[in-house]
This record gives sequence, structure tokens and C-alpha cells, in this order.
Amino acid sequence: MTDVLLLVGRSLRNAIRVPAAIIPSIAISVFFLFVYDAGLSSVGDLPGFKGSYLGFILPVAIVSGAVSGAGLSGQAIIRDLESGFFTKVLLTPASRLAIIWGPMVASAVLLMVQVVLIIALGLVLGLKPATGAPGLLAVVGYAFLWGMGFAGYASFMALRTKNSAATEAATFAFFPLIFLSTTFVPKEYIQAEWLKVAATINPTTYVFEAMRALLNGGWEAKPLLLGLAVTLGFATLTGGLALFEARRATQLTD
Amino acid sequence: MTDAATAAARGGRTAAALDGSIEVAGLTRDFGKLRAVDGADLTVPSGQIFGFLGPNGAGKSTLVKMLVTILRPTAGTATVAGFDVARQGGDVRAVIGVALQEVGLDQLMTAREMLVLQARLFGSSSAGAQETTERLLRTVGLDDVDPKKRVGAYSGGMKRRLDLALALVHDPRILFLDEPTTGLDPASRMAVWAEVRRLNQELGMTIFLTTQYLEEADRLADEVAIINRGRIVAQGKPSDLKRSVGDEVVEIEFADGDAAAQADAVLAPLADQRKLAGSELRVYVPRAAEVVPELVRRLDAAALPPAGLTLSQATLDDVFLRATGETMKEAEGDGRDEPVDPDTPATQKEATL
Repeated sequence: MTDVLLLVGRSLRNAIRVPAAIIPSIAISVFFLFVYDAGLSSVGDLPGFKGSYLGFILPVAIVSGAVSGAGLSGQAIIRDLESGFFTKVLLTPASRLAIIWGPMVASAVLLMVQVVLIIALGLVLGLKPATGAPGLLAVVGYAFLWGMGFAGYASFMALRTKNSAATEAATFAFFPLIFLSTTFVPKEYIQAEWLKVAATINPTTYVFEAMRALLNGGWEAKPLLLGLAVTLGFATLTGGLALFEARRATQLTD
Repeated sequence: MTDAATAAARGGRTAAALDGSIEVAGLTRDFGKLRAVDGADLTVPSGQIFGFLGPNGAGKSTLVKMLVTILRPTAGTATVAGFDVARQGGDVRAVIGVALQEVGLDQLMTAREMLVLQARLFGSSSAGAQETTERLLRTVGLDDVDPKKRVGAYSGGMKRRLDLALALVHDPRILFLDEPTTGLDPASRMAVWAEVRRLNQELGMTIFLTTQYLEEADRLADEVAIINRGRIVAQGKPSDLKRSVGDEVVEIEFADGDAAAQADAVLAPLADQRKLAGSELRVYVPRAAEVVPELVRRLDAAALPPAGLTLSQATLDDVFLRATGETMKEAEGDGRDEPVDPDTPATQKEATL
């Protein structure tokens, strides 16, 4: 566990030393929050719409931040592979799990900070979370798990391709998932059947629904548990893939 | 890692009393159809400076990567400090220090941050890591560098020295140095040599040093092995190897290759060991001064006047020449590149000055 903490600390310090890599992700989230809330807030006046539109769109800003920020983890691994630092750490007693988790957890922690900023901005704009401060903490928790999932995917792609551009491109391939969902309106307001189907099978929908329940609804078991299952499952799957790839790509003997 | 290995790795500053030997038998590594290392056999006794010499692309780095457990052998066995590299990788890594040809430094960190991190990953306490860091910075002469200066702003020589310090944070029994002086200026090279000798003499550390520099192997190593095209072609003490080709060399330059070839036949009764390379003939003899008058007389008699004649001591290049039929420089000109292991990205660069 110590080696995980040491490598997370090192990844966080490095990330902070290159602010240019963090700022775009925050900017995208803030942009989504401002633009969509300003342009679509009248959706909240539709009959049957539960809660505020700000509480509805805020999860979109968070998830988009997770996707754009996930690249940090992949890029950090690419940089370590290129510099030889990855091999240097492989030659220490640190586990490969720690080597992979270092940038992944750091990336998810940065996302949590970003989420706190977005929530603070939301509160300034008039957000009144239905579940209060504990609910906001739960939103940050979901964001952490979702961020770990994307960071795991980015790490997997980095180890697989060992190429910075390919890793970045693969990460951004997830952006359409944000929009094939209940991104701007609840599912019952979506008219196109194919988009309804896409939203139903898209795991992102369940992350949105869990966060929206906390912000606009309350402590509703079904969306919260579904959201937890999806975020945990995604993080476990991609983290496992990254670890598998780390074992496959390195020839380290046990 | 076993408790024994951990205790051995962290138990003290003296490596001499512990097993620091390396045994390699039939070690082979294939990259697709290319055999990078072909059945290597080596024995390195504990506490020795062992020079592993060969031209670029000979297989030196591939063999080292197998010994330090980051590349799996295709066939054969190797033990490092008594641990099998294929089955006890964690134990091996606990007792070795490694400075690979590609310095593995994080450009965004400072030297102190890197050393503390490395020491902590090897199990040091926070205070212990700080103490080790300051000691090693003094050892490699980086203690007066601005503590806030990031590694990315270091010169190539400073990076090499920091890489060496990183390899020493856990007081390893065996230190692997893969071409540690490649690209260094003469002063930095001498400093590395001095440090290698000190580590070996004061701490009894076994040093496995790969190099493409003949002089480096000759001056530093107790014993050397020479590798070419993946095969070990000679192994022994430098003095013994040189003696095996003749202690001294008479280098005779002729007007052309035909004259040199005729001279080769004329001088055959004088010396068993000869090497013809273009218009140059190298004649290996125990004592050149005793042979030269007779050699010149025979060439005069055969109407083969030398264009130039030089006496020199046999070098490890002569050993290489005898074993492979070509000089190190010629072997490097073959264009064979040493394969890169799969986890190395195409963009990985060596440290440059």
C-alpha cells in the first residue's frame, strides 16, 4: 500500500507541475455547465420534470471532465515508458498494480478536485442538492469511481499502444457515449427510439441517473445502486485490463 | 521477495560477505527469427568487476536485461546472487542495482525527489531515505546542484551520475551498469571509473559492466567476456586474453592488398598469429623487438618493402579480431541493431549530452 501512495503522490506532483494538461479538462466541464444550463434551462419547466435543470446538467459536466481528464493517466504512463522511468520502477519491489495505480488514482483524485470546483460553481449558480452535503460527497465518490474507470481505460490503451497520440485518440473515442444518453433531457422526453435504446444500454446513463437522483431526487436506492454497480464494474474492468496489459507488455519475471 | 532476500538486500553496507555471483548457462533470447543472444555461458565470481565487451548490436543489453529480470529468456538458465532470474525475479531485483543504457529518469522531478522515492520503494523509512539521498548526492557529486532544479534541466553527465546514485539506494550486492560511460566526456568517464572501483574495493560489490570501449574493459575489469552476434567468443582476464594472441603486435602497412597477402605468406614461418586486413598485416609475437630485424630482412628479400611499420601491445581488439575475424569497428559497421524489448516504446531515447 505504501508503494501505491508513494506513486500516487509522485503522479499528483507531476500533474500539478504541468498545469496546461489539467486546465483544458476543467475548462470543458465549466463550459458544459454554463452553456447547457444557459441554453437549455427551460427544459426544467417542462411538465413532469423533477428538480432543477442545473442539477440535471451538472453530472454531464462531471462525466465530460472524467473523459477529458482520463488522458492524464495514459499520458503519464506514456511519458514514463518513453523516459525509461517505468522500467526503473519495475526494477524496484513496487508491485505492478502500484505502478499502474499511481497515475490512475492521481488522475481520479484530480477529477475529484475538479468535481468539487464544478459543484462549488453549481452552488454559486443556485444549485440546491436534494440530499444535502452527504449527497454532494456521494457525487464526488461516483466521480472518483468513474474517473478510475476512464483512467484504467487510458492506462490500458497507453500500455497497449505505447503511443501518445493513439492513447489520446482512443480516450476521446468515448466522448460520443456522453451524448448517446439522457444527456440533455430525461429519457421520457427523447423522441428518437434508437436514441432511447442507446441511452438504455449506455452505462453512462446510469452514472447520470445516480448523480441526478442525489442532486434532484433524493436517496433513491435503484438509481444509486445501478450507478454504483456501473461505476465499480467499469473501474474494475478497465483497471483489470490495465494490469493484465502491464503484465503482458512487460517481460518482468516473477 | 523472500525474507532472506529482503534481509540481505537491506542488511548492511558490506556486500562482500554475501553471494554476489552470476552464473549463466546456455542463455538464449530470440526476437522473432532473430537470435539476439545465442547460448551464452558466463561465470562471474562474487566481488569482481566483470567487463562485458562487444560492438553495438552484439547482444550485450539483451543479456543484461535478462539478468536483471526485465526480459524473459527464450532458453537457458541464469542465477544472480544465487536466485534464478526466471523464477525468483523479485529476489533478484531486491539485491541488484541497475543503471541501464537508457537512463530512466523522470524529467519533472528533482534529483532529491527521485532518490527519496526510489529509496522508499525499496523499503527505507522517510528519515532513512533522506539520509541515503544526501549521502548518494555527495557520492556522485550532485550535492551542490540547486535542489529545485528538475532532472529535465540536467546535462547528460549529471543524468548518468544521478542514474548511478538511483541504482545504489538499497546497497545492492551486484551492480549492473549498461554502457555507463557512453557519450560522456573524458572527465566524466574517469569519474565513473573511479566510482566503480571504489564501490568494488570498499564495499565488495560485484560490478557487471557492459561497454563498447576496449580501454574501459581493459582498465577496469578483473575479467572480461567478449560477445559478438549474440555469441560469447572469449572470456578471461584481460592480460591472459591478450597473451593468448601474442603479447605484442607488429602492424605493417603495404602499398596494396596484394603485397600484404604476399607478405603474409612470407612471414608465416616467423609467427603463427597473423591477421590480414586490406593493405595492413598484423603479426602477433611474444617480443616484437626480437623479431623485427628478421621480419624486415625477409620482406626485403621478397621485394615487399613496408610502407609503414608500428610496434604496439596487443589489445582486446586483437582478441576480438582473432575470435571473430573482424575488428570491433568492422563488426559495428555490419549494421546489426540490437533488438529492443517489447515494452520499450519506439520513441525511447538514450540520454544525450
